[in-house]
Amino acid sequence: MTTPFLHINGIRKTYGDVVATDHVELSIAEGEFMTFLGPSGSGKSTTLYILAGFQDPTAGDIRLRGQSILRTPSHKRNIGMVFQRYTLFPHLSVGENVAFPLRVRRMGQAEVAAKVKRALSLVRLDGFEDRMPARMSGGQQQRVALARALVYDPPVLLMDEPLSALDKKLREEIQFEIRRIHQETGVTILYVTHDQEEALRLSDRIAIFNRGKIEQVGTGPELYANPATHFVADFIGDSAFLSGRLASLKGGRAAIRFEGGQQIVDVPLHGAGQEGQAADLMLRPERMELTPEAGPAGASLPVTVQDITFLGNCTSVAARTDWGDALTVRLNFGHPLAGRVARGDRLNVRWSPEAAHAFVRG
Amino acid sequence: MLLDFDKLGAWKWALSAICAVMALFLLLPILFIVALSFGSSRWLIFPPPGWTLKWYEELFADPRWIGAALTSAKIGVIVMVLSVVLGLLASMALVRGTFRGRAVLRAFFLTPMVLPVVIVAVALYAAFLRLGLNGTLPGFVIAHLIVALPFAIITISGALETFDPSIEDAAILCGASPWEARLRVTLPGIRHGLFSAAIFSFLISWDEVVLAIFMASPALQTLPVKVWTTLRQDLTPVIAAASTLLVALTVILMIVAALIRKGKSE
Repeated sequence: MTTPFLHINGIRKTYGDVVATDHVELSIAEGEFMTFLGPSGSGKSTTLYILAGFQDPTAGDIRLRGQSILRTPSHKRNIGMVFQRYTLFPHLSVGENVAFPLRVRRMGQAEVAAKVKRALSLVRLDGFEDRMPARMSGGQQQRVALARALVYDPPVLLMDEPLSALDKKLREEIQFEIRRIHQETGVTILYVTHDQEEALRLSDRIAIFNRGKIEQVGTGPELYANPATHFVADFIGDSAFLSGRLASLKGGRAAIRFEGGQQIVDVPLHGAGQEGQAADLMLRPERMELTPEAGPAGASLPVTVQDITFLGNCTSVAARTDWGDALTVRLNFGHPLAGRVARGDRLNVRWSPEAAHAFVRG
Repeated sequence: MLLDFDKLGAWKWALSAICAVMALFLLLPILFIVALSFGSSRWLIFPPPGWTLKWYEELFADPRWIGAALTSAKIGVIVMVLSVVLGLLASMALVRGTFRGRAVLRAFFLTPMVLPVVIVAVALYAAFLRLGLNGTLPGFVIAHLIVALPFAIITISGALETFDPSIEDAAILCGASPWEARLRVTLPGIRHGLFSAAIFSFLISWDEVVLAIFMASPALQTLPVKVWTTLRQDLTPVIAAASTLLVALTVILMIVAALIRKGKSE
């Protein structure tokens, strides 16, 4: 096996009794856009700060091109980073901010000027050299921070929720810029966010963090189609979870029985379990279909409509199973049921077989 | 706003009048002294029968006054430098440190502000008797540093608290060593706080009189002490002239401090 470009090898970090990250293991290819996605406190930022050298791991190693970087102090790691908060040097102009890493490296004046110009051009802020940071918008400041982090051509760029302080529209605009910059420069990016949409939009691969561990690593479509755990299934996409019990198991597929005796058969089962154990059936909203007539036995369920919300391009129908679990189905605009469905209606929800997954309750 | 000045009606005039009276009450004695320093009467008659600059001439011709002013300036500048340097180091530890007992240490640093100055003066006098520091320049500097340092720590800590440590982290990842980051990024980032601390430290020393009276010797005394001792011997308008110059420098430095604060908010 060839040496991975960046290898996070069993990183563990504890603060007293609190475990911040636990045996985080990940290989990142050169030029890859890797996102750490997870709720706050899941260990994604801690991992990033260990990479930056602001924290030392309790155990484990980080290797860049096969060389451990843990003994190298932060300022000699040659890593770029964009922070969550605005970190431009307030007393320096935009040009001097971007020039700072080069000046620290004692680079010649002409070369500094040329590199600063190129970096500002990369983030589309040509001609902003003399502007002071305080006179710029949040989005512009983060773009300058990006230029400053890239101007010295670091092999790895770390980004710690750089867009969380910006409003939605601006965020999407800069996400697009970040993608373009990633493609133009080919720099390896490690990006931390708690926003699944942002992760899906930007990343080559996503590592889902939960309680200090990586639950699953994969491309967006892989994670969405084949979530390995209940947490991943819940974190990516707005899925419905119906609680029941394992009725039978065969070769990684299971049947689930719900309260009242209804049974769903032949769904892929994630996690080890035995008959009678509590398990959840996950259904993706866009794979569900509402019909007045009953669907095939074992792949459909009767539900009662609770609430109907018109959302423009679709109508969201909130419904409840006979044993009280909630699920939401979207009807596209123009769907024959969209105008006719009413609160209290008895309908059937059905789904395509590959859209259902069963998870053993941990 | 709950209390809108524009909606107060007749109260508006009452409030304005109270403010004006307060301002006059505070300013009149100073204006009175300034007027007397230019008045021609030797007996400090008000209003002055005529105007003259002779008290200033007398002041500048007397080497004892010049000596006292130079002593004050010298002590003020040394106190200013030490107060800012020590205040900066203490603030770094208090704001960025993670050790236990920081809150206690901070309170301890600020005690000279609440202790009666005369108690500090007596205590220092007793201690300096053993050390032989009474009547010496280091004695003056230490005494004034004790009262100036809390102000420097408050001002610099305040500036440091509003300066995001992530900015320093960013500088370090950019390749600056931790010390280089502090020098090139954090210090310029809190320079308004450092300037304010410097000005206030100088002013505290410049017009401090209680400690200075205890520390003073016939050979070494500050301008406020010289004013005070002269006042006890004879009531001459030269004192008014000296006081006016004291006040003038204070006012100028206060304006500079205000401008720095204004520059920061922009």
